[in-house]
Amino acid sequence: MSSGAGSPGTVLRVMGRSEILPEPVQQRACAELPFAIDFELSDSIDGLQRVVSRPDSFDVYHQWHTGDLMWTARGIQAIELDRIVGGREIAVAARTKIGDRGGNGAIFDKLFVQPNGTLGPAATNRIAMLPSLHGVDSFAFHADIYKYIDPDEPQSWSWLFDRRWAARTAILSDPVLGMIEASLATEAHERITFANVGNLTIDEIDLVADLLVRLKRLGRLRRTWRNYQEAAMLMQRGVLVQSMFYPGYVLLQRKGLPVIMSDPIEGMRGWHLDLCISSAATGHVLDAAYAYLNWWHAGWPAACLSRQGYYATFPDQVRQHLTNEEWGYWYGGEPAACHLPDPTGRPAVPIGHRRAGGSHRERMSRVRVWNTFMDEHNYLMRRWREFVTP
Amino acid sequence: MKHRPYFKIVEDVLALSIAEGRLPAGTQLMASALAKRLNVSRPPVTRALKELEDRGLIEPIDGHGYMVCGEGATTPLRRNLHELDVGFDLNQTRDEALVAPSWERILESVETDILNCTPFGTFMISETELGRHFDVGRSVAREVLSRLHGRRMIRKDRQSHWIAGPLSARMLNEGQEMRRQLEPLAVAGAIGQIPRVDLLAMRETARAALNDGVALSPEQMEAIEYALHGACVNASPNRLLNDMVKTVQFSGIVNRLFAAHIGVHDAAAVLAEHRLVYDHMLIGDRGGTEAALRFHLDADHERSISRLKVLSIFDAPELAPYLTRIY
Repeated sequence: MSSGAGSPGTVLRVMGRSEILPEPVQQRACAELPFAIDFELSDSIDGLQRVVSRPDSFDVYHQWHTGDLMWTARGIQAIELDRIVGGREIAVAARTKIGDRGGNGAIFDKLFVQPNGTLGPAATNRIAMLPSLHGVDSFAFHADIYKYIDPDEPQSWSWLFDRRWAARTAILSDPVLGMIEASLATEAHERITFANVGNLTIDEIDLVADLLVRLKRLGRLRRTWRNYQEAAMLMQRGVLVQSMFYPGYVLLQRKGLPVIMSDPIEGMRGWHLDLCISSAATGHVLDAAYAYLNWWHAGWPAACLSRQGYYATFPDQVRQHLTNEEWGYWYGGEPAACHLPDPTGRPAVPIGHRRAGGSHRERMSRVRVWNTFMDEHNYLMRRWREFVTP
Repeated sequence: MKHRPYFKIVEDVLALSIAEGRLPAGTQLMASALAKRLNVSRPPVTRALKELEDRGLIEPIDGHGYMVCGEGATTPLRRNLHELDVGFDLNQTRDEALVAPSWERILESVETDILNCTPFGTFMISETELGRHFDVGRSVAREVLSRLHGRRMIRKDRQSHWIAGPLSARMLNEGQEMRRQLEPLAVAGAIGQIPRVDLLAMRETARAALNDGVALSPEQMEAIEYALHGACVNASPNRLLNDMVKTVQFSGIVNRLFAAHIGVHDAAAVLAEHRLVYDHMLIGDRGGTEAALRFHLDADHERSISRLKVLSIFDAPELAPYLTRIY
């Protein structure tokens, strides 16, 4: 750690979504790092707008499928691998690509700064963002669904559009993620295949959007949610099938609702969370930013967030911070050997429960598509608003 | 920009010519001769002369038009107006604007206004407001929009509203497919047409900016882009080709807006690519010029697609009064 990072008066401004920066993580960072940290939680597009247009308004950003936008706008600066403890492992991981099946938006495909200034897969000493967490999302369903179907019916994204529980479905309102999930559901429902679900053409976007609007007019798929708390609330109020973030699922588990996280046959929506440094950060602030990145890379925060279903991109670092039971359940895909806690320490996972889809490696190999801004995002936004606007 | 009435343009041009001494005191001005000289119809010239008289710049001669006021202007001097520089020839665009029909005068402004907003979303265009804004009638407004419709820049929705945007990656892809075929022909055609010293200066600007490594302002970048994609294209002797190239250069708006709102980035790549085109032009290498420009256009297209994504998360910063955001 650089000596400058501890200089009195240094304040590091960190921005991220609420799921990534729960209280325990914020408190521990402030306690363990020798400078003040100003955390700012932003779950909306405003945060991203600031990162690309006003890099002087933040120092570190926990990014989520926006890396290419921020790099295009040079809102972030290249991270020197030499300044990250254990940084060399990243180049090795990039070669093995565990949990990083290719496709638009995969982390290692656009990570390293290439000599011509673009981002690419060839390992160099500079990266655009430090990978921290990744995972797969799918939909969740209430056990009541088995009143309508056989228990051995394969779980499918088409359930989101299924008429058997027509008015009791919901989808997330975020256009980037929502469109991807709607596309997976459209593929399964209409029995078609898109060439690249992560980068739809205008005609394909129209097809999905037309179906969404039609379902909405038919009184189905009426509800959308913005964050995991809203998602959990909808299921408590009677929704049977809906897209779900893992923290929402853990919350419902804690409340004892008989909800099942799906392992759909079509595969899941993959995501990665990474750390970025503002292009405006220099001097002591830059030193503090590197110290903060190294604190994350050492594993404790990722271990904490593993308890809400996230995976550390480099799992070896988190193992020492988890009990054997936790490691076995969250990463090994084993049944919970005891009552396991959520990130705040409250008991959540019941004894004997097993994660759908198996171990870390098995689940990450189920990625069908990664969260990503599509080339036609401008057009996608227009059609998506048509769907979500009441 | 608010468009001025026709006579006003004539009036301003004549006033300027008088002020700068290009129409010397005593020069006799007849409406018919002036209209011929300016290549416009007579009514706006008559009106302009009346206005100039009211401003005291010219005085009427009994039955023989007007005379330019000023020192030593006692008797009207009949001159061949075609020998005089009345200011149009100095400024090509003003010349074109003056002789063009009304719809043509505002077409470019409307196109720019629309391109300036479509990277940010979808907008409705009001024919009435457009007419009011440019001070033209409804038929002229409709003519302009029909032209843009023909070029697929705008469309009509089911309620017959004019709709612009959103600018899509598909539009950029389609434009690029045409542009990479046409523009290299035009620029290669400019070899031998542009004075060597001008070409050397263009290359030097690109080279110096590249070597200095200092951040360029959006205006500097715009000038650098214009040298290659405007001046060089215009220098090609094939006018039809040049006109067609201009209609497929709309992706430039993405770079301009990105530079204005986010900043000038990746300039080194652009400058190196430009310099390479000039290198080929300077040695008279047609094939090399075409290949180098095509490489540049392809690379720039990739950059435009990435930049459009960044712009699409923002709202349009400023809108022309005849545009309304709908999504």
